[in-house]
Amino acid sequence: MAVLSPSVLVEQSRSRVGQSVVRASTEMDLTDGMHPRIVVEPSTADDVVATLAWASAERLTVMVAGGRSKQGWGAPASSIDLLVSTARLNRIVEHRHGDLTATVEVGATLASVNRELARHRQWLPWDPPWSDRATIGGIVSTNDSGPRRHGYGAPRDGIIGVSMVRADGELAKSGGIVVKNVAGYDVSRLVTGSFGCLGVIVTATFKLSPIASTSRTVAVELDSLESAESVVRSLSLSALTPTAMELVTAAGQNRLLVRFESIEEASAQQSQEACSLVGSSGQTEVLTGEEEANLWRQHGVHWSGKPDATLLKLSCAPAELFPLLQFLRTVSRENGLEYVAAGRASLGVVDISLEGSIAAQVRMIQLLREQLTVGRGSVVVRNGSVTLRRKIDVWGEIGSGLRVMKAVKSRFDPDNRLSPGRGPGGL
Amino acid sequence: MEKIFLDQLAQIVGMDGMVRDDAELLTYETDGLVKLRSRPGAVVLPTSTEQVQAVVKLCHETGVPFVARGQGTGLSGGAMPHPDGVLIALTRMNRILDIDLPNRCITVEPGVMNLDVSKAVSDEGYYYAPDPSSQVICSIGGNVAENSGGAHCLKYGFTVHHVLGVEAVLPDGDVVTLGGPALDAPGLDLLGVLVGSEGTLAVVTKITLNLLRKPAAVKTLLAAFDSTEAAGNAVSGIIGAGIIPAAVEMMDRVTIEAAEEAVHPNFPKTDAILIVELDGAEADVSALFRRVEEVCVEAKACEIQIAKTNEQRARFWQGRKAAFAAMGRVSPSYYVQDGVIPRTKLPEVLSRIAALSERSGLKIGNVFHAGDGNLHPLVCYDERIPGQADLAQDVASEILTYCLDAGGSITGEHGVGADKAKHLPKMFNDSDLDTMQLVRCAFDPGYICNPGKVFPTPRLCGEVPGPYRQHPTEASGLAERF
Repeated sequence: MAVLSPSVLVEQSRSRVGQSVVRASTEMDLTDGMHPRIVVEPSTADDVVATLAWASAERLTVMVAGGRSKQGWGAPASSIDLLVSTARLNRIVEHRHGDLTATVEVGATLASVNRELARHRQWLPWDPPWSDRATIGGIVSTNDSGPRRHGYGAPRDGIIGVSMVRADGELAKSGGIVVKNVAGYDVSRLVTGSFGCLGVIVTATFKLSPIASTSRTVAVELDSLESAESVVRSLSLSALTPTAMELVTAAGQNRLLVRFESIEEASAQQSQEACSLVGSSGQTEVLTGEEEANLWRQHGVHWSGKPDATLLKLSCAPAELFPLLQFLRTVSRENGLEYVAAGRASLGVVDISLEGSIAAQVRMIQLLREQLTVGRGSVVVRNGSVTLRRKIDVWGEIGSGLRVMKAVKSRFDPDNRLSPGRGPGGL
Repeated sequence: MEKIFLDQLAQIVGMDGMVRDDAELLTYETDGLVKLRSRPGAVVLPTSTEQVQAVVKLCHETGVPFVARGQGTGLSGGAMPHPDGVLIALTRMNRILDIDLPNRCITVEPGVMNLDVSKAVSDEGYYYAPDPSSQVICSIGGNVAENSGGAHCLKYGFTVHHVLGVEAVLPDGDVVTLGGPALDAPGLDLLGVLVGSEGTLAVVTKITLNLLRKPAAVKTLLAAFDSTEAAGNAVSGIIGAGIIPAAVEMMDRVTIEAAEEAVHPNFPKTDAILIVELDGAEADVSALFRRVEEVCVEAKACEIQIAKTNEQRARFWQGRKAAFAAMGRVSPSYYVQDGVIPRTKLPEVLSRIAALSERSGLKIGNVFHAGDGNLHPLVCYDERIPGQADLAQDVASEILTYCLDAGGSITGEHGVGADKAKHLPKMFNDSDLDTMQLVRCAFDPGYICNPGKVFPTPRLCGEVPGPYRQHPTEASGLAERF
């Protein structure tokens, strides 16, 4: 490939990328310490098709950016020629409220989509970090989720259709607009969580949930991880149906937030029953309205409040979570690390925000991984400095499926130009 | 098949693991869709992953196609054997391997029956959510292949939402493990695409399933309406009130009468009934159930029966689940269609089906997973009348075009299989199908894993991805593009 200067590339692209806006990279576009050589902002599927076809002809490496809330996730990209910004792909294509489904363009933020869906008292039931600026595309590409995953599932559980542009510039769709559908392969799920390494998603269709009329959260302050574990166990065994069961643990703090969303009398009764179940194991307080909203806003700070902290995602078999958190506590103390772990207590998925020397962080990640085997748990570096992400494999061991994942990648992107090296398992 | 190949198979699975008897082979010629038949080259009954692996390896080395089969209850010909291939029947791999209640999961072999999973954990207060109507006789392996649903998938999702991990033998004989008791295994979501791939990507040999706590409360009502439209309005009202029931099922007059003849559920003699079930915490269920009743009254239900006992609830469900089989009471033969529409398009699609019934002279009954738009028209015919079987098939195909016109799908749970491969291009263009085939080529470049299913045209995996080009086998007249 002849390396063209950014200005020549911008000039050359103008007739090749449809009606897309073309511009040079700015500070905002800096990714993994690199400036892309050119930034293209398509506003239609046709623009994306033209852009990817041009990139294919010129053999340009491509990365996608949405709200840039997760631009530092995944392994650092090895090269970025073309950054496709989805900023102008931000429409709600259709909200079929009678069918509880919606099709949206990927550049729309979750917050803007949910504002619109709320007109019919429906929503995409997700609450991942930074949802004011996180886009649908970014959330789908990372399969990111938040506390309500406990009750509503992750994006991969709610996606029912996708249209995407392949590395060779072909537009393709999978799934459809109906919730129940087994026609053809489910490429929608395959691209969910693929970190943009298989194609550029243009629109996605999801099943929606009704917005519950009331919400209550039982906040439980606990004196130890052991009591937190016992409360989580009894809640999980009960007949209660919370939509979130969120643990926050750090040195000297153990707190559980249990949310009930339903009609008034049901959320009131369930939260009372939860308090009875906790009994004398912890201090309980039931919050609703603005107080409750504030509580959850503060909870979100654990992920987003410290932009320089490393963010790990620990997943494990649910019953193994608390022993692992004890281990985390011990190893952190020994290595001078500060941490906050916050996540889905009953699902075995927590985010760990970590501060301390890079060497100590690397050691911590290695030690945690030694506790886990493939399929029974993983530690993935989500956000972190380029230095850390170059020092350690951000994904950890993938297992025997890696061979097939590589085969899929090479079928979809034979020249390895889409987010090269950034995808799961270094795809 | 060549004797040497059969001998090698026998070495792997033993003589008692081979089916050779002509009468016995007959069983394996077809799955639940009996109109599609093919005598398999060989049938093996492996008892372990190692045996499956050895059989698949042998097929890979010799280029012989293979088809995996569970209980053979599929309704799209997905498990129809290949005449020159090996049928791998997984019925002997039927052990429950591990019950891990602290992690709310169970690991089973593919031949375990769906209902047996729930039975195994029922005493401890757990169950497995996907409940296809055939759950007494269908196996988990087949559920994984078809991404099976069931009446309760409206609230709880399909098989893909409940499979945590699998062990699978790839078409080259490699064994891979995907997922496990922990969520979010890093890497591409191969599990998400493998579930529902209709046995065309791999042979699944172990499955780890998610278990749910049994709900504290379950309430079920049956509401009768004097038109399917009124029943449809009630469903819209329930969803519009922000309620997601565990199940909402609709039956029309034809299927109500058939069910009455077969299992006597004592359903009202009316044009449409709804069965609505709510489950969850006691407080939610009782409050929301009152709202459901109000909605049904507002939608002019002419009768509402509330199940007061488990027996009554079971009677409602028995009437619903027997609907397919019951059609045999009112018609010598019937064709079960499986299509999906956006739920709000129900009145329009049902009136087109009624017009089609009148035009064709064939009676059509409708059973409908009303909450999620999955329609099961039952086209009645008499095969003793010349031409009527073909007519029934044409009528069933036309119903699919109504589903597609409404923005729906050609299959909601029965799969594409061999039966609907020719319809797939009505839903997806060449580029869409080509993209799906990229997945197939990554798993099965030799095209030996259940070939001829799902996709209407084989694809040589050496081809460069791009718009459709004529396949060499088509050019030579060996394959046909439908």
